[in-house]
Amino acid sequence: MILLDVLTGAVRGGTSILYAGLGETVSERGGVVNLGIEGSMLCGALAAYAVTAETGSPWVGALGGAVAGGMLAAVHAYFVINRKSNQLATGLIVLFLGLGITSLFGASYVKESINSFESVAIPGLSSIPWLGEIFFDQDPLTYISYALVPALWWFIFRSRWGVLLRTAGERSEVLTTYGHNLTLIRYAAVIAGGFLAGIGGAQLSIAYANAWFENMIQGRGFIAVAVVIFAARQPFKVAAGAYLFGAALALSPVLQAEGFSINQFALDVIPYLLTIVVLVVLGKRRAADAPEELQKVFEASVR
Amino acid sequence: MTVPTTAPADAITPSIPGLDDPPVPPPPADEPTSPGWFFASGSAVARFGLALAVAAVIFSGFMLIKGVNPITAYSDMISATFGSPKDIGEILIRATPIMLAGLAVAIPARAGLINVGGEGQLIVGGVAAAGVALHTPGLSGGMVIVLMILAAAAAGAAWAAIAALLRMWVDINEAVTTLLLNYVAIDLLGFLIYDTWKDPNGSGQPTTPILGVAARLPVIGTSRVHTGIFIAVGAAVVLFFVFRKTSWGFRLRVTGGNPEAARRAGMRVGALLLSAMLVGGALAGLGGFAQYAGTEFKLRPGFCATYGYLGFLASWLAGHKPLAVAGSALLLSAIAIGGDSLQIDAGLPAASVNILIALVLLAMFGLRKRKAVSA
Repeated sequence: MILLDVLTGAVRGGTSILYAGLGETVSERGGVVNLGIEGSMLCGALAAYAVTAETGSPWVGALGGAVAGGMLAAVHAYFVINRKSNQLATGLIVLFLGLGITSLFGASYVKESINSFESVAIPGLSSIPWLGEIFFDQDPLTYISYALVPALWWFIFRSRWGVLLRTAGERSEVLTTYGHNLTLIRYAAVIAGGFLAGIGGAQLSIAYANAWFENMIQGRGFIAVAVVIFAARQPFKVAAGAYLFGAALALSPVLQAEGFSINQFALDVIPYLLTIVVLVVLGKRRAADAPEELQKVFEASVR
Repeated sequence: MTVPTTAPADAITPSIPGLDDPPVPPPPADEPTSPGWFFASGSAVARFGLALAVAAVIFSGFMLIKGVNPITAYSDMISATFGSPKDIGEILIRATPIMLAGLAVAIPARAGLINVGGEGQLIVGGVAAAGVALHTPGLSGGMVIVLMILAAAAAGAAWAAIAALLRMWVDINEAVTTLLLNYVAIDLLGFLIYDTWKDPNGSGQPTTPILGVAARLPVIGTSRVHTGIFIAVGAAVVLFFVFRKTSWGFRLRVTGGNPEAARRAGMRVGALLLSAMLVGGALAGLGGFAQYAGTEFKLRPGFCATYGYLGFLASWLAGHKPLAVAGSALLLSAIAIGGDSLQIDAGLPAASVNILIALVLLAMFGLRKRKAVSA
């Protein structure tokens, strides 16, 4: 069943993008774009793999991945918040830092095998035709992401903390006027974003691919940034976007397993092209919805 | 809260940070009043040296963690990079695509655009050049070179134009689209070299057939250094004058500084942004051509990999000044070659040198005056 395989793969493969997208959502709601999310995912993937290899527990590994992702994001936070450096350029430099660090410390883990997360079928739910197989026969990090989406929605739109976060992104001077610490809020947002991206990287290395190799994220972090833009920084829409790209990513292995002889690269390009197409379709409408402080970053020159 | 600044991203204030912190003087009108030579002012050179030193010290911490003696590693790196005339030649060879990709970042940056697509623009340039070479068997070598140059520049320009047009028409930030287009270019390259363009007489490796000797860029003397470096340095010098002397260069700067003011002054901002991306993309396309026809003579997986990003970093390191971009490209090329020495001599992965490169950039940002880097 090709469609069922693709949909199952969409959730499995989309979860890492979902975590990164949720992280980027928090960061951007606070007024900071972080292209270095790609680097946070890389660091998260390696740290999770390494910690799992050393401790034997993928749970500790996932936590290690989250911490590593948050630490790299803290570098981004320092330079864009304290030094006011260009957010887009700094994000890429931070990605380079992540690439180098993971290359340096990752080499010894390339050949190591680990005790990774396994798929856990949820009794009852997993026997629902289609839905059960797509959503309820997955790894634990994927289940956590199901809960994280509504939780983050509640946090951003219904909680007091969410108001502070959104104000940091929309009208930072109001926060300062009311005596809140803008710097602290932005740091928290960026680091929390890196933390979530780190879990996304962990899902990739210790639940999905069960391997570590150099530069294994392959642009998923950038796709997550694009998803966040056309999802207008709304957690539920981010989830929909992440699964759409999960499906595009799943297409290639599924069709190959079915014996179709299509050039692999013609399939590999689909997620990137799809991202651009969706941005074109939804981009114009979404640009006006972006937090005001972000518009300053994204529209530095035009208008 | 940030005060919107109209100061150009590369405004340099004549003071050494950390030593004195007087009330910030009004940003100098940069060009044409400042000397504009290389790093533009003595304090910038001092800051640059300091950044390099800070980065090297932090990086040695990483080496110590991995049980590598930093002093031995650095001296190996330096002797492997600058040890012989041949090594200097390698720096020039590798700097050629990086320099052109860096200029492809610098021109749009003048107008306030962030082009992260050097990687993809280099690749499509190389692909276009290879396409010409593979499909014009009867032509003379010189003719093939001319056609390759035109095709590579056009391909790079077209690739960059996609992002510029999307920015103008549907408000998508060009940094995001150029990044995504890099991956599209990598897949295009893979599609061709594993399939229709694969060398039928090759050893089964996914590469195109070798470019004929007549259609290669001439080399300098008996070295491997090809004339592509003259294209790159020449482009930097021409841009140096174009930015200072022409109305186009002036308009780009006004647009980058304050697009609203540019619009009210009657400038066609959209056309300016597009032209900046087109020229930049064309230069990166030429970089791909130079790599193909001067160094590699075939397309392979990983063709030009990371050179586009290194070009991006070179341009930011140089504050988007053309001659400084050329210098930064040489420096990053040297550091990248030093990375190969890390692998051979110290047993560390070559890509770990990315740490050093990122640290140099971050130190540079950290040492700059506040606001001077916000664009």
